[in-house]
Amino acid sequence: MQIWSPLYRPSIWSFRTSIGNREVGMDMWQVTTLAARIQESLLNQDFVRAGIFLGGGLAATVAAVSLLGLVLVYAERKVAAHFQCRLGPMRVGWHGVLQPIADGIKLFLKEDIIPTEADRLLFVLAPFFCILGMFLAILVLPVSPEIQIIDLDMGVIFLAAVSGFGVFGVLLGGWSSNNKWSMLGAMRAAAQIVSYEVSLTLALLVVVMFSGSLKMSEIIQSQAAGWWIWRAHGVGLVAFLVYVIASVAELNRAPFDLSEGESELTGGFHTEYSGLRFGLFFLAEFINMVLASAFAATFFLGGWMPFHLGDWQAFNAVMDRIPPLLWFVGKTSFMVFLFMWFRWTFPRLRVDQLMALEWKFLLPVSLVNLLVGAAVVLSGFYFFS
Amino acid sequence: MFNRQGIKQQQVKVGGKQLTIIQAPRPQRTSQVATVWGALCSLWNGMRVTWRYFSRPSSIVTQQYPENREHLKIPERFRAQLRLKYDENGEHNCTGCKICDVQCPNASIEVIDMRGESGKKEIDRFVWRMDICTFCNICVMVCPFDALEMSNEFESSVYDKRLLTYQLNRYAGPTKKAFEKIESSADRERLKVGRQPFEAPTPLGIAAGVASGPGVSVAPPSTMKKDDI
Ligand code: SF4
Ligand code: SF4
Repeated sequence: MQIWSPLYRPSIWSFRTSIGNREVGMDMWQVTTLAARIQESLLNQDFVRAGIFLGGGLAATVAAVSLLGLVLVYAERKVAAHFQCRLGPMRVGWHGVLQPIADGIKLFLKEDIIPTEADRLLFVLAPFFCILGMFLAILVLPVSPEIQIIDLDMGVIFLAAVSGFGVFGVLLGGWSSNNKWSMLGAMRAAAQIVSYEVSLTLALLVVVMFSGSLKMSEIIQSQAAGWWIWRAHGVGLVAFLVYVIASVAELNRAPFDLSEGESELTGGFHTEYSGLRFGLFFLAEFINMVLASAFAATFFLGGWMPFHLGDWQAFNAVMDRIPPLLWFVGKTSFMVFLFMWFRWTFPRLRVDQLMALEWKFLLPVSLVNLLVGAAVVLSGFYFFS
Repeated sequence: MFNRQGIKQQQVKVGGKQLTIIQAPRPQRTSQVATVWGALCSLWNGMRVTWRYFSRPSSIVTQQYPENREHLKIPERFRAQLRLKYDENGEHNCTGCKICDVQCPNASIEVIDMRGESGKKEIDRFVWRMDICTFCNICVMVCPFDALEMSNEFESSVYDKRLLTYQLNRYAGPTKKAFEKIESSADRERLKVGRQPFEAPTPLGIAAGVASGPGVSVAPPSTMKKDDI
């Protein structure tokens, strides 16, 4: 443990270099992104290769998103059913595995209604804003050292910026429907997301401080000796809890599903939506849940980084046998399950309770946590520093 | 926030009697930290409960209905079709007193009585309209002769709603008790005038001017067995 002194460490940025040079007793992971591959091909004047990467990446992303949507609809229904002593879908295919496909066909074939009094342009655009926000967040998602679209230097800031797009879609959808329920739902969603974004970002800042970088790959690399959730003497754990609570609120999922609470607002902002447009909202919601889980895994659970313990060579070598992709999928699935568990256990909050929770509890807690985190970082008083 | 502790018990003598008085705890303000801790604990408790359901398949109550039709488990107190109780001689207890008829909140029972051979009132037709019954069990509870019961026979969907009007008594005539006084079995059988489940006067039948029985011939539900009613 080092005693903090302003002369030793004038800023946390110098601390960052010490992490970069840290001896962890293993080779650093080589991160290759899709953007880097395309850039390399373009530099070599290999336009065909660049085109293949671009098209392939695009197709793979869209395919993965649609497939994830189907899997998640099924998973959510099954998990919900078992939490409530039911069986869930059992009829279409083996144990109902084809149910989401049937649901999708139903959504496709449904009549697409636009209310007469609605603002047509905004009404049509709103679901696409939701989808757009989702795809923008996917851009910086580190799935494994080889699978990442672009590794921005300011990935965390980018993430915080684009996560507002989703609420933009919700707000437009609710406003343009010209319906009081939609309107109320949209207003609630906006208020909720604006509030919770604050403590969400503060929770992320703790991790940014610890890893000394805004870059996704570097945040993950900094966890090569252990995940931030347990390495920082509780600071990481508190930040994780704040992140989870705030991201459930951002996702508009129960117990924070005030913007679409069926019992209060029929369907909230998507009351007037039907058919494919409703499907898009639905898809964005589910994929956003995966994204929130994936980023929780990235920031607090080490992302694709295997579970390492400091410089225990043998233990780390065993853990390295499991491919990073599997680690990522496992951690993300765990987080998704946690979100579902929350949804089917906790009762919905009232609007005033929601705001009180954020401004009177989460915000002070995360601010104090940030200060404590800063002290911990500067003193180097955490495991394997 | 409330404190669980602080329930007070007191022994008081009132008019020579020893009474125990339990005083409900007063709500107590707890500190902010205790509130947060209590909230986290109760959330964790909730998650434990749902996890128990999730991890134990035996807690599932869903029944895969058409597949498990042979070995369906229906709870004892499940209320499906109403029926009269019959003993082994096929005799019931209904006297035609019309109490159930009067007490039914939906007027789904119509008891038509007649004067029997002995000069006493006897049941002629016990008409039950399942389509407007809410299965509230009141008729079963009010019957002073314990003549009614709710059966577990729930497969009663039909294509013609007139088939939801049942005649519950299998015969018109005296009760079980009255039969006990009659010695010869030939006499007993003579007093029983047969009634069929679907020959009750129906709303449609009455509208069409048909006094009894459906105006058109209708097939009974395929799931019905001979002695269901
Ligand atoms: S069922 Fe019971 S209450 Fe109804 S008429 Fe018969 S004896 Fe009376
Ligand atoms: S169960 Fe209730 S509604 Fe049905 S017949 Fe009896 S009293 Fe009437």
